[in-house]
Parts: sequence; structure tokens; C-alpha cells
Amino acid sequence: MTALVALDPKFHHTCYLLPEQAQRHAAGLQLIPLVPAELSYVAAQQPIVLTKQADSGQFVLSALNGFVSGENLLFAEHSQQWQGLYLPLQLQRQPFFLAQHQVLALQPAGADGSAKDNSPQYTLCIDPASPALGQQDIGAPLPAGAQRLWLPDGSDSEPFRQAKGVLAELLQGEQQRAQLIEQLLQLQLIQPLALDITFADHSSLRLQGLYCIDQQRLAALAPDDIVRLHQAGWLPAIYSIIGSMTQLYRLIELKNQQLVAR
Amino acid sequence: MQHSSQQHMPENTPDSTVKTVVVVGGGNAGWLTAGRIAAEHRIALQKQSPHHPQQALRVILIEAPGIAPIGVGEGTWPTMRSTLLALGIRETDFINACEVSFKQGAKFARWVDGSAEDFYYHPLVLPQGFGKTDMAGFWQHGSQQQAGQQQIKGWDWSSFANDLSYQPAVCEASKAPKTIRHPEYAALANYAYHLDSGKFGVFLQKHCIEQLGVEHIVDTVVAVHSQPCGDIAGVETEQHGVIHGDLFVDCSGFSALLIGKHYQVPFVSCRDVLFIDRALAVQVPYDSPDAEIASHTISTAQDAGWIWDIGLQHRRGVGYVYASRYCSDDEAHATLRRYVGPALDQLQVRPIQINSGHRAHFWHRNCVAVGLAAGFLEPLEASALVLVELSAQFIAAQLPANRQVMDIVARRFNDTFLYRWQRIIDFLKLHYVLTRRPEPFWQDNCKADTIPASLQDLLLLWQHRAPGDLDFTSNNEVFPAASYQYVLYGMGFRGQPPARAYAPADWDLALSQLEHNRKLTAQALATLPSHRELLNKIRQFGLSPV
Repeated sequence: MTALVALDPKFHHTCYLLPEQAQRHAAGLQLIPLVPAELSYVAAQQPIVLTKQADSGQFVLSALNGFVSGENLLFAEHSQQWQGLYLPLQLQRQPFFLAQHQVLALQPAGADGSAKDNSPQYTLCIDPASPALGQQDIGAPLPAGAQRLWLPDGSDSEPFRQAKGVLAELLQGEQQRAQLIEQLLQLQLIQPLALDITFADHSSLRLQGLYCIDQQRLAALAPDDIVRLHQAGWLPAIYSIIGSMTQLYRLIELKNQQLVAR
Repeated sequence: MQHSSQQHMPENTPDSTVKTVVVVGGGNAGWLTAGRIAAEHRIALQKQSPHHPQQALRVILIEAPGIAPIGVGEGTWPTMRSTLLALGIRETDFINACEVSFKQGAKFARWVDGSAEDFYYHPLVLPQGFGKTDMAGFWQHGSQQQAGQQQIKGWDWSSFANDLSYQPAVCEASKAPKTIRHPEYAALANYAYHLDSGKFGVFLQKHCIEQLGVEHIVDTVVAVHSQPCGDIAGVETEQHGVIHGDLFVDCSGFSALLIGKHYQVPFVSCRDVLFIDRALAVQVPYDSPDAEIASHTISTAQDAGWIWDIGLQHRRGVGYVYASRYCSDDEAHATLRRYVGPALDQLQVRPIQINSGHRAHFWHRNCVAVGLAAGFLEPLEASALVLVELSAQFIAAQLPANRQVMDIVARRFNDTFLYRWQRIIDFLKLHYVLTRRPEPFWQDNCKADTIPASLQDLLLLWQHRAPGDLDFTSNNEVFPAASYQYVLYGMGFRGQPPARAYAPADWDLALSQLEHNRKLTAQALATLPSHRELLNKIRQFGLSPV
């Protein structure tokens, strides 16, 4: 596990960013979490599936990169490059994280008796081991492509500002994702993805733990339910997930190429 | 051949269609039966639909006010999962509302010789290799070391359940049968439930009324009105007058208002086989909110009976069931205190009478008894709720369309359930007859004249081969052959290992099953969360329906 460190200008003013390196975090990721706003981009390059989080069993949206744990067929090991046109927000945000913590009420409850604000608070953190982060040795020049976090006047640099924007987008996106999932569950539109695949080397595999949209149930929805989905703006997301299923063939093809090359 | 059903045909009833089912009694038996019938017949839909101005079927449940549930049946079978599904209940709601925990079988402690190391499991997964080959036969060879085979070396052969099932190890580690990622009702390891009986009743009531369209009347039944033919026309209540019906389900518990008080259907005692006639029940709080919860029923043998111990989310349910012929109430209380500890002095201990046995028949004219009104046995192997489920399922599926066919259904019901009661009595008795405990209660249990002939026959057969499906060929079996194997070999029974030749491939197959069970055990222990942890997560996140 990566140790996250709260970002502090006092300690981190010598750090610099290598934005081009953020994609290297994709190495070995079979699944990348997604938010609804990016589904249409992802659907153009790879399958989108629903998976369950290990510790909560809650559904999340994921970009599927491979068929077994640790496999990312869209990541080229030799060049350390992400092969997709679109880099999911979860990678764009590297090397930054938001760490969530509850702020416990240190002060007594308000005059109206209401509890103090217990809404989650976030701290901006960095992953010190990230390839997208470097530290400038005293007197040494910045490497090519490197950018500081802060400008001389103390304001945020452009890539730092962008990364913060991505984090804000993710935070909002996760709420939207929860709403979408709730809606899908309520209308019973999630079904297990049952898939047996045989690869070029005749090895076969049964995909497990992946879920997709139940198209039959979607087609049979009552008009009121369809209107509700439309008004909430979920139909594009739903059709992106459905449409992305054809990308499974691309993923199989990538796997076959890899098998043949071996 | 003449069918006797003609005799009961009511006369002068131009329209004898079954349109109203009246369930008398608002315990778990009443609600499960009413709910099952209402769900099967989509009564809630009938009510909504404008196309059904004339409702086809009504289910009315009359509940007497202020009656506390007996609350002994807090363990279920895996069948409860199917029952809840049939009622359209979300597993997450059920688990959170009824303080439910997962039950993966029963652990029988001190039943064989009474020593501290003496225990065996009756898990809910089938023995590994069951149905592929005669694993019990191989296991007997191994455990008796008589075959002189090289293959049996390197294996322990000391515990049938541990050698052939991964579930005892899961239970010993207090692990859950599933993870938070398993959908509702699905699992890695087969499971049943432990539940808070009182809360289950409240939960069922709400669901049956709000979702399934069961009509609810809270009132006391004071009289039964008969038709000239002898059928029940209606039951008179204190405040709601006479409630008429076409079929009456007696779920009135021990009072057996209709099947007993009204119809006087005889009660068949089985105290000569099962000696238990009393229980002392107590609810024991946990020491701390994160105390481990056992994922199995613990049943510990005592001088004159045994103690059940069921871990729910918020408390344990503990009780000593004993035979008054061998043990005074004071002695029983002292035994329970030894088990629970001094904390018992602060807790309310409830005495319960157990009159072991059942009605001579259960469906009489237009009245069918379900639950305690039909009969009661000691709460070994959780047979009370499963009989309610099976009865409710039968009545819902075979609900007679009219009075003309009711006697046919009644005869089938009686045949089916008499068979089931007898099989359950046999199976419960099996737990007692192989003991080596010295106390009179246990020794008397082993005497041949207390053992039903049907069980004696089986024990004789099993001297020469393992219990198999060929021993249990009825469509109405309650316990599978695997359950008999777990209890038989768990109690230390060893028959003659099969006297037959084995090819090397036969042994290879058998040993590969043992090996596979080792692998499954390791996998299960690595994958499954602690029981308490999963229950907490279900409270926080819920289980997904898919």
C-alpha cells in the first residue's frame, strides 16, 4: 500500500510534477474506477462494467482492462504508455489524492441543539512514490517536462490547478455514480455478466464478478420509469455501458495478439 | 377402490369455491402460512387490479391481543431462504430487522462420551464427493485402518465432518458463510439463519399486511360455528362478530383451538421415544458489542438433556431442555447456571412445557393445523420452523379450489406430514441412541424398546453400508442421507467397511476428494470475513439483490 502524505508547502515546495507520467499508474490495473461523466469517452475505447467493492459490496463503475487480476491490455509495458485515447480521471489525478475523514465535533453542539457539522472533510494528499512526482535536489535543474506545484508568487501552477479540478470532478462524480447505481438497482437493471471466453491459444476463461445492464429489463421498463431515467439524465450513461460491451471483442483481440506474440 | 372423500362432501352448498382462508393465530406459523398463500395467489395484485372487481381469494388472519410468542424456534433450515424469497422479502431487510445471524449447522458437544474434547459438527454443505462415490465407505476403511491399504496413510480419518466438509473449520473460526459481495440469498457455503423469534413475527406481520394483502383482525376467538355437515362455518370473535371462511388454518399454538379443542383430533405422544418434556430458556447479553458470534447452533449434552446456544446479533438465546423424569427443575436450573455462569441470576429464566408429539392427523374437514397446534418436539435440528414452512408451502401450492376436492388434498397433506413427523422423530432419536454417556437419561435412550422399528432397521442396514439416498426415497423426505451420515459417524458409529474390491482408481478418486476438501478449507478460511464483521457490514451497506 502506498503511504499517503498530506500536502504541505512547507515540506513539499521542492516537489515537482511530471504530468506525462501519471499514466504509468495504469500498469497492472485490471479495473479502473469511473464516474458517469466520463463513460461516453471510455465506451469508445474499452468495456465498461459494474463491479463490487471488496470491503463494502457496493457497486462501482469500472473500465475493464484485462481478463485476470493484474492484467492491463491497454497499457504497453515497453513504452510505459496508456494505449487509449482517453485517460480516466482516476489516473489523471495522479499523484494527488483526497483523504476523507470525519471532523469530530470538538465544540459543543450549536445553540439549536443540532450536532456540529459532521459532513466529511477532505485533505489533499500526495503519493510520494508516484512516478508523476519528483523532488528537486538542491541546485539541480528541473528535468524535462517537469513543472513545479507552486509558482514563485505562491499561487498554484497550471498542472496543479488542473489536478485539483480533476479531484473536484471525481468527488462530484462519485456522488453521481452512487445515484446512478441506486437507480439501476431500484429498477433491477443490473445483471451478472456471464461470459465464457476462449482465446487464440485455446485457453478458456469464465469471467466472474462483473455485472452489466440487463437490456431485456431496460426494454420492458414502464414509460414512467423511462421518463424518470431520461429526466435524471441517466440514459446516456446507461447506453454508454451497453454500447461498450462490443469493446470486449477488442479486448479479446488485444489478448490474442499478446498470446501470439509470445 | 372407493375413496372415502365422498363421505365428507358437504351438502346443500351450491357454491363451495374456496374464496376465504381464515388463519387463526398471529405467531410465526400464522404469518408464514398466511403470507405464503397470499404471495402464491398474488392477492395484493388482485386488490389493485380494476379487472378483479370480484376478488378471487381473501386471506384473513385473526390474532389474539397480548399473546407472547413461545420464542423457542430461533433456528431455521436453509429452506428459510426459499421461503423468504417466495414471500418477496429482501434478505437485507430481514437480517437487519430480526437481529439475524447466519447458521452453518450445529455443533454437538459432549454427546458421545461427555468428555471435554467430545464434539462433532452437522454442517449444511454436503460431504465432499457425496454423489460421486461412496465416500462414507472409504472413510470407514480409513478410520478403522482395516484395509491395509497404503493410500489411507497420511490422512487423519478421525472426524467425518472435518475430513469431508470445510464448514466445521469455518464455524470454528467464527467466520461467515459469505462475503459482502455475495448477492442476497447467495453464498460460498450453504447457510440457514438464527433469528429473534419475536421480531420475526412483527416483521412478517408488517410485510404480509402491507405487501401481500393479508387482512388482519386483532381479536379473541370465543366460539366456533359449525355447518350441519360438521365443517367450520366461522369463528366468533369478541368484537368483530363471526368471521366466515371456507378453509381454516389453526395456528393457535399449544391451545390448538380448532384442531384440538373443537375437533378433538387425538394427540399422539412420542415421549416414549423422545424423553424431553421441559425447557428453561434465557436470553443472555454479550459481554461486549464486538463479541464473536457463533455461526452455528451449539448443542451441549448435559446429565438429563442438552443446552441450546444460539448467537444472534444483539444477544444469545440459551436454554436447557431436559426430561423431568431424570432431573428436577432445581437441578435443571443449577445445570443452566453452570453453563451460563453467575450472570444467570440477573436474567429472567422462562420455563416451557414440551409435550412431545403431534396430532393423529393435521387436516380435518375444512381445517388444517400448522405449527405448535399440529405438534411440537424438542428444538433439536430446528425442525419446528421447517415444518411450518413445508406446511405453508403445501397449502399455498395445493390450495383446494373448492370443497369437493378438499378431502383429497387433506388426505395427501396428512399422508405427507405424518411421514415427515415420523422421519423427524427417527432422526432426532438417532442423536441419542449411539451415546456412551453413563447417566440414566442417556442409557435409557439407548434401550431398544424406546427406538422406533424404522430406525432400528436403518441402524442394522448401516452396519454394512453407509446411509444413502436409497434409504430415503420418498418425495417427502425432510433430512437427506448426508445428514444421517454426519450424525451417525459424528456419534462414533462404525459399521463394517464395505467388503468389496477397489481398483487403484477408486482410491485415487476418494483421496482426491479429501485433498479437495483441504483446498476448499484453506480457500474458505482465507476468503470469508468474520461473522460479526459481515453482519456489521450488512447493517452499514446492505447486501445487493444481484
